[in-house]
Amino acid sequence: MKPLANKRLFLILTVLVVGGSLAALVFSSFTGALVYFHTPAEAVAKQRELDGKKIRVGGMVQAGSLVREAGTLKIRFLVTDGKAQIPVRYDGMVPDLFREGQGVVVEGTWKSGQDFSADTILAKHSEDYVPVEMSEQGIAKSKESLMKSLK
Amino acid sequence: MWIEIAHFSTLIALMLAGLMLIAPWIGLRWQRMVWIRVARQAAFMICALLTLASAGLIASFLKHDFSVQYVAEHASLKLPVFYLATAMWGGHEGSLLLWAWMLSLFVAIAAWKHWNTHPVSMPWVLSINGGLLLGFLLLVVFLSSPFERLLSPPPDGRDLNPLLQDPGMVFHPPFLYMGYVGFAIPYAFAMAALITSQGDSEWILATRRWTLFSWAMLTIGIVFGAYWAYYELGWGGYWAWDPVENASFMPWLTGLAFLHSVMVQERRRMFKTWNLFLIITTFALSLLGTFLVRSGVLSSVHAFATDPGRGVYILMFMSALLLFSFGLLTAKSDQLRETPKLESPWSKEFSFLINNLFLVAGACTVLLGTLYPLAVETLSTAKVSVGAPYYNKVFIPIMLGMLALMGLGPLIPWQRASLAKLRQEFLPAGIIGLIGMLVAPLVGVTHPSGAIATGLILFVGATHLKDLLRNIKTRMSRESLSAPGAFLRLVTRNKRRYGGMLVHLGTLVMVAGFVGSGLFQEERDLFLAKGDSMRIGSWSLTLESMDKTARRNWQADEAVIRAERPGEATLMLRPQKRVYSEHSQPTTEAAIHSSWREDLYVVLGDGVKDGVWAFRIYRTPLVSWIWIGSGIMVVGVFWAMLQGRRLQRRAD
Repeated sequence: MKPLANKRLFLILTVLVVGGSLAALVFSSFTGALVYFHTPAEAVAKQRELDGKKIRVGGMVQAGSLVREAGTLKIRFLVTDGKAQIPVRYDGMVPDLFREGQGVVVEGTWKSGQDFSADTILAKHSEDYVPVEMSEQGIAKSKESLMKSLK
Repeated sequence: MWIEIAHFSTLIALMLAGLMLIAPWIGLRWQRMVWIRVARQAAFMICALLTLASAGLIASFLKHDFSVQYVAEHASLKLPVFYLATAMWGGHEGSLLLWAWMLSLFVAIAAWKHWNTHPVSMPWVLSINGGLLLGFLLLVVFLSSPFERLLSPPPDGRDLNPLLQDPGMVFHPPFLYMGYVGFAIPYAFAMAALITSQGDSEWILATRRWTLFSWAMLTIGIVFGAYWAYYELGWGGYWAWDPVENASFMPWLTGLAFLHSVMVQERRRMFKTWNLFLIITTFALSLLGTFLVRSGVLSSVHAFATDPGRGVYILMFMSALLLFSFGLLTAKSDQLRETPKLESPWSKEFSFLINNLFLVAGACTVLLGTLYPLAVETLSTAKVSVGAPYYNKVFIPIMLGMLALMGLGPLIPWQRASLAKLRQEFLPAGIIGLIGMLVAPLVGVTHPSGAIATGLILFVGATHLKDLLRNIKTRMSRESLSAPGAFLRLVTRNKRRYGGMLVHLGTLVMVAGFVGSGLFQEERDLFLAKGDSMRIGSWSLTLESMDKTARRNWQADEAVIRAERPGEATLMLRPQKRVYSEHSQPTTEAAIHSSWREDLYVVLGDGVKDGVWAFRIYRTPLVSWIWIGSGIMVVGVFWAMLQGRRLQRRAD
């Protein structure tokens, strides 16, 4: 039998080791998992520092910009926020809400001198969604579209 | 008319909730029992009034009363009647009313059931729940009212979001809320125990069934949500670590920790403070979950800018609750002396402690990932999202660790075990687990986490089986019963233990489902013209035809696909792209063939050129095990609920 003090120490150490390794696991995974969101204008301005990083860009699918490659699922389109446009490439099935003139969020990487290559297209908003423009304007717009749809 | 009745009932209920908060204080302060009875009657009245209010709102839906803003926003003339009635919780104003109504129902049941058995705690339980109801009803009446009228009613409403027109989504919120709200009762009893400084373990015994029930409901609610995401959203998965999902997952984790750690308090009078901390946290997370999802804050912090009042109110409500609860816990901490001490790391209580560490770490992981983006967005102009890889990276080790502990559970004794005895207990199961781990890659489980999980599942199964067989043997010899008779006697005499074992069994089935679907899903994107075939797994699929089909409020393109597998009957799968008449957006209806081995999941995409359509096809092994496992878990919890207090004799 070990003396009791040793035993207590052992218990506390076990808890600390387990808890500590869990905390380490959480924080080490966390920093790598953050994906920042940018508007097209911000992304164009910061293109150099975003080069090759995984980012999200949100805006509208510019009307008339959607091009399909015949016989494949490859598409190209422009994402715009009214100030800047970003050309996006995507290969695969698009979500139901993806349409020209609608809000969209694309996730992927943008290498300088190329199109933004999207791995995921998120379009999880209701049809009266207006991309949040970090401003009262965006909110006013969404209210307006809500009222419009009620009439 | 109905909506005024509903509105008025809610207003009266709000006043009565205020009375319910104050009356017990008056009663205790001036020794007037009558005031405490008043609080009890108020609880019943509030329940009746909120039932009326909910009925009134549902009636407004059924009557297509589009002069009510909430009805105009979530229903239309074409909406089928079943969804009309359940559209009450299709938006957040109605959901909050549903929440309050369920809380009032549970409080009424608690006031009726525990009135005679817990006379000392009851006044405080009523008062605290009065406060909670008051907080919620203020929100419903003043800040997010479903009773608002429109000055010029539209001829038709905006309809319910097509994605919500689905049975899975109809049942998901009520079950989830029953889970959330159910934790209010143990929480109130815990606070009452602190306030009255008596019966430091009585509150746990009194609320054991409430806790089990709430956790089971939460499980059902979460699984309904996952199942809905699986067959309705058409992405082949069921869990995306979306903030909305996370919000319900956090109280589930802490509630699970609580369910385990109360056993230690019951048996060994330990972890008192910790249990109080856990129940406060669980209930606070339930509230947080409701608010996060239902305030719109998750889509963007700026949604609050449209309605700052609501955001500020919710923050205040949460802060008040946390300050009150943790303040009370700190103030009364000196009464929560732990007499027994942890004696050895080789004991049941220590394995429960580590189990709790894992679960709480899991909850912290999710909390960090869910709130961090909100914090960043509030404090800076950046927007950030936390990806699923983070959660997966953290949760796979946590899940494996929990499995290992689950295997120890039934065989490890309380207080202290001799190492020699432990070795003898665990050696066979350990060997079985190791063999499973090594054999798994040979039968196709090639992923390391998958192989470890397979080994651990076998290990847990073996320890549980060993425990069961030994107890059956004991009973057989002691009471000279046959094996089945002994088994029946065992599971009916000690429902708590064997209910718990059944929950563990369900967990194993579920984990197998996670491993199969998470690590071995196969996905194919391709084009098919009429008559084209493709192969996935052992299936061969042929596009037979493309049709059009319609129902009352939608029409759809429908592909007819013949699926064949050697030695099985031919199947017809009919994936659709629906357009609902009130909405311009199409919705995907995947065609799913489920079996115990794997699911075949076909999604129809857009037409790419004349007569050629895009398809996405998934083959997901063992995904149905998740639903089956959750069902087993819930049955296990209910079985454990059948038994009240632990029998005061040697448990076998």
